Amino acid sequence: MAGLTRTAGAYSVTPHKISVCILLQLYAPSAQMSLPFPFASVSQHNRLGLYLLSLTKSCDDIFEPKLEDLVNQLREVGEDMDAWLIDHLTNRFSSLTSPDDLLNFFTDMRGILGSLDSGAVQDDQIILDPSSNLGMFVRRCILAFNLLSFEGVCHLFSSLEVYCHSSSAQYDASNDNLESLIQHDQMDMEKYIMDKATEEIELHKNASGSVPFHLHTPKALFKVTEGLLVTRKEKSRGNTKKTEATPLACSSSSTVDDTLVDESLFLRTNYQIQGFLMEQANAIETHGSSLSSSSIESFLQKLQNLAPELHRVHFLRYLNKLHSDDYFAALENLLRYFDYSAGTEGFDLVPPSTGCSMNGRYEVALLCLGMMHFRFGHPNLALEVLTEAVRVSQQISNDTCLAYTLAAMSNLLSEMGIASTTNVLGSSYSPVTSTASSLSVQQRVYILLKESLRRADSLKLRRLVASNHLAMAKFELMHVQRPLLSFGPKASIRHKTCPVSVCKEIRLGAHLISDFSAESSTMTVDGSLSSVWLKDLQKPWSQPVFSQESGSRKSSTFFQFCDHSVSIPGSVSQIIGASYLLRATSWELYGSAPMARMSTLVYATLFGDTSSSSDAELAYLKLIQHLALYKGYKDAFAALKIAEEKFLTLSKSKILLLKLQLLHEHALHRGNLKLAQRMCNELGGLASTTMGVDMELKVEASLREARTLLAAKQYSQAANVAHSLFCTCHKFNLQIEKASVLLLLAEIHKKSGNAVLGLPYALASISFCQSFNLDLLKASATLTLAELWLGLGSNHAKRALDLLHGAFPMILGHGGLELRARAYIFEANCYLSNPCFSVSTDSDTVLDSLRQASDELQHLEYHELAAEALYLMAMVYDKLGRFEEREEAATLFKKHITALENPQDEELNMA
Amino acid sequence: MMVSKESCRNEIRAAIGQLSERCLHSAAKWAGEQLVGIEQDPSNFTPSNTRFQRGSSSIRRRFSTNESISTPQPSVGFSQAAATPLREEDEVIDADLYFLAKSYFNCREYRRASHVLRDQMSNKSVFLRCYALYLAGEKRKEEEMIELEGSLGKSDAINRELISLERELSALKRTGAIDSFGLYLYGVVLKEKGNETLARASLVESVNSYPWNWNAWSELQSLCTSIEILNSLNLSNHWMKEFFLASTYQELRMHTESLAKYEYLQGIFSFSNYIQAQTAKAQYSLREFDQVEMMFEDLLRNDPYRVEDMDLYSNVLYAKEACAALSYLAHKVFLTDKYRPESCCIIGNYYSLKGQHEKAVMYFRRALKLNKKYLSAWTLMGHEYVEMKNTPAAIDAYRRAVDINPCDYRAWYGLGQAYEMTGMPFYALHYFRKSIFFLPNDSRLWIAMAKCYQTEQIYMLEEAIKCYKRAVNCNDTEGIALNQLAKLHQKLGRDEEAAVYFEKDLERMDSEGLQGPNMLEALVFLATHFKTHKKFEEAEVYCTRILDHSGPEREKAKSLLRGIRMEKTGFPSMDMEHFPL
Repeated sequence: MAGLTRTAGAYSVTPHKISVCILLQLYAPSAQMSLPFPFASVSQHNRLGLYLLSLTKSCDDIFEPKLEDLVNQLREVGEDMDAWLIDHLTNRFSSLTSPDDLLNFFTDMRGILGSLDSGAVQDDQIILDPSSNLGMFVRRCILAFNLLSFEGVCHLFSSLEVYCHSSSAQYDASNDNLESLIQHDQMDMEKYIMDKATEEIELHKNASGSVPFHLHTPKALFKVTEGLLVTRKEKSRGNTKKTEATPLACSSSSTVDDTLVDESLFLRTNYQIQGFLMEQANAIETHGSSLSSSSIESFLQKLQNLAPELHRVHFLRYLNKLHSDDYFAALENLLRYFDYSAGTEGFDLVPPSTGCSMNGRYEVALLCLGMMHFRFGHPNLALEVLTEAVRVSQQISNDTCLAYTLAAMSNLLSEMGIASTTNVLGSSYSPVTSTASSLSVQQRVYILLKESLRRADSLKLRRLVASNHLAMAKFELMHVQRPLLSFGPKASIRHKTCPVSVCKEIRLGAHLISDFSAESSTMTVDGSLSSVWLKDLQKPWSQPVFSQESGSRKSSTFFQFCDHSVSIPGSVSQIIGASYLLRATSWELYGSAPMARMSTLVYATLFGDTSSSSDAELAYLKLIQHLALYKGYKDAFAALKIAEEKFLTLSKSKILLLKLQLLHEHALHRGNLKLAQRMCNELGGLASTTMGVDMELKVEASLREARTLLAAKQYSQAANVAHSLFCTCHKFNLQIEKASVLLLLAEIHKKSGNAVLGLPYALASISFCQSFNLDLLKASATLTLAELWLGLGSNHAKRALDLLHGAFPMILGHGGLELRARAYIFEANCYLSNPCFSVSTDSDTVLDSLRQASDELQHLEYHELAAEALYLMAMVYDKLGRFEEREEAATLFKKHITALENPQDEELNMA
Repeated sequence: MMVSKESCRNEIRAAIGQLSERCLHSAAKWAGEQLVGIEQDPSNFTPSNTRFQRGSSSIRRRFSTNESISTPQPSVGFSQAAATPLREEDEVIDADLYFLAKSYFNCREYRRASHVLRDQMSNKSVFLRCYALYLAGEKRKEEEMIELEGSLGKSDAINRELISLERELSALKRTGAIDSFGLYLYGVVLKEKGNETLARASLVESVNSYPWNWNAWSELQSLCTSIEILNSLNLSNHWMKEFFLASTYQELRMHTESLAKYEYLQGIFSFSNYIQAQTAKAQYSLREFDQVEMMFEDLLRNDPYRVEDMDLYSNVLYAKEACAALSYLAHKVFLTDKYRPESCCIIGNYYSLKGQHEKAVMYFRRALKLNKKYLSAWTLMGHEYVEMKNTPAAIDAYRRAVDINPCDYRAWYGLGQAYEMTGMPFYALHYFRKSIFFLPNDSRLWIAMAKCYQTEQIYMLEEAIKCYKRAVNCNDTEGIALNQLAKLHQKLGRDEEAAVYFEKDLERMDSEGLQGPNMLEALVFLATHFKTHKKFEEAEVYCTRILDHSGPEREKAKSLLRGIRMEKTGFPSMDMEHFPL
């Protein structure tokens, strides 16, 4: 109710605004006033102007600065005339002794505004253009003051008094708080602590989210109690600030848990607060749950007390809870936000021209709800909600929302393993989805993406266009392009993905950087610039470098200012960063290790700070995986340690996953199968139990299970697991995974000595790789194929060697340590089993390969293969009669074999 | 533990004096009501003294003979000290100042009152001074709330006396120089400052040492937001505790427990208007409208100028669509005190019943202006906005109600309805679920949810069936659920189940003597069903019942009957066709 009748952008006069007005009077003195013009130079004058402009725009806090802060800042700005400025300010304030003075003050303020049509202006007079930013500010202040009733003027007057003596008042309040704490020492302290403790525990639970079992209640209780005592001690020392104050916990506020609001604090303008909230939202996303959720909560609580009609608070709270994985609170706050605001408050993506219709914008609520369910892993719920969002958007023809919804939907469908959508979407009658009712999931995704792209393009939603291009690239990467309507054997189809179009889409996505200004939210850019400018003021102050000359300092701030003015909005750089990540992923799939690594590095260096933490985590993940593959485990584990410190606090951290993967791999190579099995099980335990959620993880887990079984020589069981995995992949259309599962099956048959059975699998895998352009995987499949041929008998050695040599460039250029070693050993094997090959004449060909292989395997600690290589080496040496070298190889062989047979021993040694 | 009426009476009498001495007027008022509510001792009073008490029907009960005429006894145990008049330690000059302060207080000049007592150190003076200061702060706060109303509904108006009051009272508490009234005030101050745990402790201490201050009890009740909190309170036994428990149970929606308590209390306070009104409230929550109406009529007869709780009465009248009675009630409260939220609410209800929704909204708004946290006005205003098809406003109003009291199932239900109206049934389901969570035994809510599932957008019929089943179990008086269940099963091709539900529905309609299209539909389905399953006797019964009705179904029934006879005589129609004559 109140939300609808409220006048937009209402404005109130506050003591801080009066200060700014006083300074403005100095900046542009009116003709009538006989003030001396204090500025020594034009640049000084401009500097004050810039400062005032920043004051009216900055969005670094929800509260207006106090007089103290203002005076401190003035010292920075004013340079040699700061004393004069401050003097004038305080004098002016002390001259306001009755409400009547206020009235006169504002009448005077009119004088500094030039009239719009006045041509005759005195030359030396500085006139404030009424339509300039500062002019508008003055006009709004005057208007707001004129609208005040007498009571309002009285309130303003009394708050002016508080403003001028704010520091002492604050001390009183904190003292009082302290007393109330002390006096309940004996009787209530325990109870109080208990309450506090349970509260904190709740909080911890929420914060830690995914790993609540790490929490041990008594310990937490102890910690909290301790913390409370500490805060009490601090308070008695007169320190009103809590220690863990992050830059977010508004530094200007007094005690955090006092619900009574400090009277000397006034909220900034609506515009500034919105800007601040937007920045906070960005921060929540960038830092994820590593950001202390309680500190955000406390400032939100304060803001809500002061501005109960500012519903954006609920949305921010939703975001906060979302990132700390508190499903119920997130849901509750999301619903509350939309109930109050009808989806019309504070959303950028709703163009202001369409305005607030009578119906509200509840479709945006549906969109958000759908995305929330998606994030919490409820795909079916999310799909239902998004379908409803599509329907409602269509009904009230909100194309913007529709475009976003379609994009969200396609994202959902492509991420979640949804076998068939007919049971979910079949019921809906929405045109977009129902025309596609007979189509497969991928085709649906494609259509949704196209539709979304088309709408976003026509609505000029640049960011959506960019992210749609990226989604399209992902789609092209994973799916074979087929004509949608002409199915059947006669249609000429090229069964191949098209890397060129992937590349094209990625580039189109990155185009955003050139025209991001088209759809930027001026509010935040403007405001954040101002707050950055203000912060820069403080920088030299906090550093003890005062020896700098004023000229150089000015230039440095100037450069910083310029620097910031070209900075890109966070969301844009995030999308561009995502394009680099996607580039890395696609290179990974296509099999170019250096290119993948390079793209990831570009991402990590350029976008690592600005992007969302989950993306940054992914980049680290890729780099570590690369290390493990190409440099061995030692380096990888060292890097993992660094990454762990950085990301483990995140909810749904992928680092744990990576750690398990690495450990599993390591254990497999070293032959510690028990450990491998355990890691594998833990990996599976990370996945959600819901159907279709965490598909990637589930596939990974069973793939690893099959490999473990294979290593344990349980061939039939391994084959079973691989078969069922293949069925799952088929059901959920995971084509690329299919290729690797097929390869694994071939591998299993090869190991079990059934080369004939393995051949079709290897061939199928190769053809999959071909159609998806998975060059590296294809090379490795070719290697397996060659091995299978050799397994059929030594008369196939020639063919096998040919195959291997065909794949060699790829393997040596891009393959990891293991693959290369395997190839080398196999090459040697081929030569050795070839009856036409004589060891004595051509020993170097074989020995070189074997030496290479054994070296690389040392890095990997892959005992089984290393033993094989060394065995072959020893045999060759034996043939050649080089006994010393033979013995050396043999001892190494023995070492590897013993290590392989007693993995636990080594484990102990290492410990 | 039955307390003797006489001791109650004496205790209350003393308490009223003490309470009004300290200007705790509403507590004194409450105590007075209960005092008069006690069954009188027939030996002391002539019938003429009782004219204020109750209608003729009750007078007989008043002089019930089984009352043990007990001599006035000092109250038991801990309350003894407090029950006896407080020591008059103050000097004469103190007493004079106190009289002046009290008069100022009674003229609502709070600051003057507290100023007069500025140097007085007796407990009584300190209390009155602090209390006056507190009220002065409250008054100023209310004024400021209007003055400061900013664009964002800035409501940071605070009682500026709280800080100094807290400081003073906590100092007194530390030295032990605080009496139970001071503790009460201290509790109030702490509560206002948001320190609920300490406030609760202080209030408990206050009511344990002086149980007759109803204000303290009701403050305590507002701090008991869950049964766990209630159970954790360490309260001494006293009959006032029963009042407290009864009212707290009611707030916690434990209506039957609350009713039991009130019933027990009625044994002593047989004529208490308060108890009667509270009982009516509980009965209202249990949807016993007829009974509630009678109780309120009785109440109004005895206390014709009562405004408290009358909004509930108007709700009952609204539900029964008694326009005339509602307008009469509205007129009466309007004359009594038009600027009471309850009065505005009653008038709003009246206009709503008359279909004049704009006017109704105006009155609900007025009620809210008078009391921002007036829950039912928010909800009722939401209903009005729904009628006016202004969905966003309705949603906003409902949401405010829910945020004031998250257990208000009506508002949750309203939210669900509003979203369903905007064509978002799936979104609405969440709200229906919420409302059902708080009131799982209401068939209407289940039916609303089922209808949501049934919409063509969602079309989750299995879920709808589950909901309707729950509705049937919750004693669905309107009989929608059975009918819908039958139809849904029919739609899903489960004829057996459909037949069962049609039969049940038919049974229900028969027992209530209803007729209508539903009846015919059921009959036709059953007749056809039994015929196809070759249960000819049943089919014939239903067919003949159809024949009682007029309309196209008659023909159908006739043809069915013909078919049945054919099949019964052993000449199935099929065979006839095979061998045409």
